[in-house]
Amino acid sequence: MERVLEEFITAVRSAGVRISLSETLDAARAVALIGYGDRALLKDTLAVSLAKTAPEKEILCNCFERFFAFDFFTAEPEGDRCSPKDGPLLDAESPLLRLLMEEDRAGLTAAMTEAARLENLSQIRYYTQRSLFALRLLNRMGAGDLDRQLQVLRALDTPEAAAAANRLEAAKNYLVDNVRRYVQNRYDLFAGNEAERRLDSELRLVKLSNIEQRHFVHLHQIIKRMVKRLNDLHSRRRKRARRGVLDFKRTLRENISCQGLLFAPSWKKKKVDRPQFVVICDISRSVLRTVRFLLLFLYGLNQEIAKIRTFVFCTNLVEVSDILDNCPVDEALTRIQGGTDIPLIMGRTDYERSFGDFRRNYLHAVTRKTTVLILGDARNNYNDPCPEHLQAIYDRSRRLIWLNPEVPSFWGAGDSEIRKYSPYCTVVRECNTLDHIERLISALIRD
Amino acid sequence: MNKRNEERMASIEMLAEGLRSVAYIPNRQIAATVYLAHHLEKPILVEGPAGVGKTELAKAAADYLQLPLIRLQCYEGLDEAKALYEWKYGKQLLYTQLLKDKLDDIISRKNGFASAMEKLHQYDDIFFSWPFLEPRPLLKALQEKDGAVLLIDEVDKSDDEFEAFLLEILSDYQVSVPEIGTVKAVTKPLVFLTSNNTRELSEALKRRCLHLFIPFPEAALEREIVRRRVPGISERLTHQIVKFIQDVRELELKKVPSISETIDWARVLMILHAEVLDPVLVRETLNTFIKFEDDVGIVTEKLHQLTALAVRQ
Repeated sequence: MERVLEEFITAVRSAGVRISLSETLDAARAVALIGYGDRALLKDTLAVSLAKTAPEKEILCNCFERFFAFDFFTAEPEGDRCSPKDGPLLDAESPLLRLLMEEDRAGLTAAMTEAARLENLSQIRYYTQRSLFALRLLNRMGAGDLDRQLQVLRALDTPEAAAAANRLEAAKNYLVDNVRRYVQNRYDLFAGNEAERRLDSELRLVKLSNIEQRHFVHLHQIIKRMVKRLNDLHSRRRKRARRGVLDFKRTLRENISCQGLLFAPSWKKKKVDRPQFVVICDISRSVLRTVRFLLLFLYGLNQEIAKIRTFVFCTNLVEVSDILDNCPVDEALTRIQGGTDIPLIMGRTDYERSFGDFRRNYLHAVTRKTTVLILGDARNNYNDPCPEHLQAIYDRSRRLIWLNPEVPSFWGAGDSEIRKYSPYCTVVRECNTLDHIERLISALIRD
Repeated sequence: MNKRNEERMASIEMLAEGLRSVAYIPNRQIAATVYLAHHLEKPILVEGPAGVGKTELAKAAADYLQLPLIRLQCYEGLDEAKALYEWKYGKQLLYTQLLKDKLDDIISRKNGFASAMEKLHQYDDIFFSWPFLEPRPLLKALQEKDGAVLLIDEVDKSDDEFEAFLLEILSDYQVSVPEIGTVKAVTKPLVFLTSNNTRELSEALKRRCLHLFIPFPEAALEREIVRRRVPGISERLTHQIVKFIQDVRELELKKVPSISETIDWARVLMILHAEVLDPVLVRETLNTFIKFEDDVGIVTEKLHQLTALAVRQ
């Protein structure tokens, strides 16, 4: 029975519940104590020892119902049945045939599960493997024998034999049908989420501009997970950095009231700077998607980031921090694009004017502590790029990072002015997949 | 755990019956979990909305097993000095003073510094030994001869560091006191941890525990709880109260009424000698189970409808 548990745990794992080895051992011990006799009790036991949050419990119970579903061979076979009266015509030596003739459903189920075990059905991974596994299971159960008998019967060419053949055919279909359903059930259990997981890992690498709208929900979930991970990672680190060494001067000062005895030591506090960001985004159509996901990321990290000011530009530049602070990123972006209440001109992209706007109006937002993120393809429609504006920003900032959604081979081609801007950037990076964004941001909040 | 308690834990049914006898009505899953925890010697992490009887479960278990309940209430900043052990500084200081004269005797009789030091070395650790140790809840639970029920309440309120520090005691039922060594449990205690999920607990902690999620009870179970907790209440009123509360839980409230609040309300209605619910009565006693002004508004709006539904039963 260990193997049953093992397979069940594989199924639950593939449904997305994390189960460690020690939990597996616990479950095995618990099940050994409880036994397989009481279905509800078994379910409770597994739920208690394997799943560690309420949602996980739900997934596990769902899996349990499907995994321990014994609804195979329950439907009445259609048409005439094989019956023992066909006995003389058929070779009753075949155990499968006997099971079918006697309609021993428990026996059939047992034979099928045994065959599944021998054929390692739990290894099924792909949609296309289903027919193959069904065939293997049938062979293992001895369905080849049925075919042979069918041929023999058809060769006899008597009315009784023909009738028996039809009945046998029906029985075989019944069997095949159930085995197929069983394989499908196991596929759903063991590999159903495989596809989704693969999608996850692929979505991280696909260019954001190529991702279809229908995957957005999915993408948001991935981002949420990434953001949570980053938050977890860094909140702990920040705490550790707070511990300092003995602050001797302060200790002396504070202990004057104790006649100068060093009674209560006080410690030096290391001030941990949370990074400040100024984000300047090109929101012309070519870059918009990357902007969207970058902002989703940044605003998810508000625990770790002291302050973000966001500016968007197309022909001119405006600040949109207020909008982003007050509503979710998606909604904010639609509002910004709709642009009724903000003085944004959505004409040709003009880097000269936009950076100029920033330099004139907002340069004071950039200080020694600020990281400036610029997201844009630097395609200036053959106008003068005027890198002096960028230089002014660069000089004031702690660092200036340019994120370019184009692949590096296109940089500098056509009207791309990135080569003229790059001297005034601490670093220029390609940024067009979730993976890029994640790597960038985790690097940013690490130091 | 002694023999008597082995018998008390012999089967799930017996355990469930036993918990009932101390006025805790467990559902099957709760009984099964406590049974498993005892036999597998694992702690139970109890989660669920506030007021579903998480703490009560530990109390009931202690009651039924007739073991002392040792409770450790967690809060931010809780450290091992408060949870595990502390040295009795005052006593140490006092003894130093007392021993001063004695010390002279010991040393002065001996001639020569080396032999005096040698003599002293024999006494070195007397101040860091059991008589000077003040055991705190965790250590106390390990030292109980017949075992104990250890309740670590609201573990999610403590810091990450404290959680890490719990790991040793939860997996091996032992703690390390640097000056003395490892202290193993005399009899392994039955450990309950409760959490309200104000923050996610670490994987490591969860892995070491059986995880029990107690949701709001179904109507039948809740009626039984009310009957058991409020003796003498009429069957009709119990039905109506439970129906009303269950319906209120369906509304979108800031804080839905918990079981303990159902019981409070039932008690209040008993004191008022109410026979059936009526809107006026409900409005007057609403504040026993609704604790937010906004929620009161929402419930009052639907008061007649809800009462009618409850009474119709």
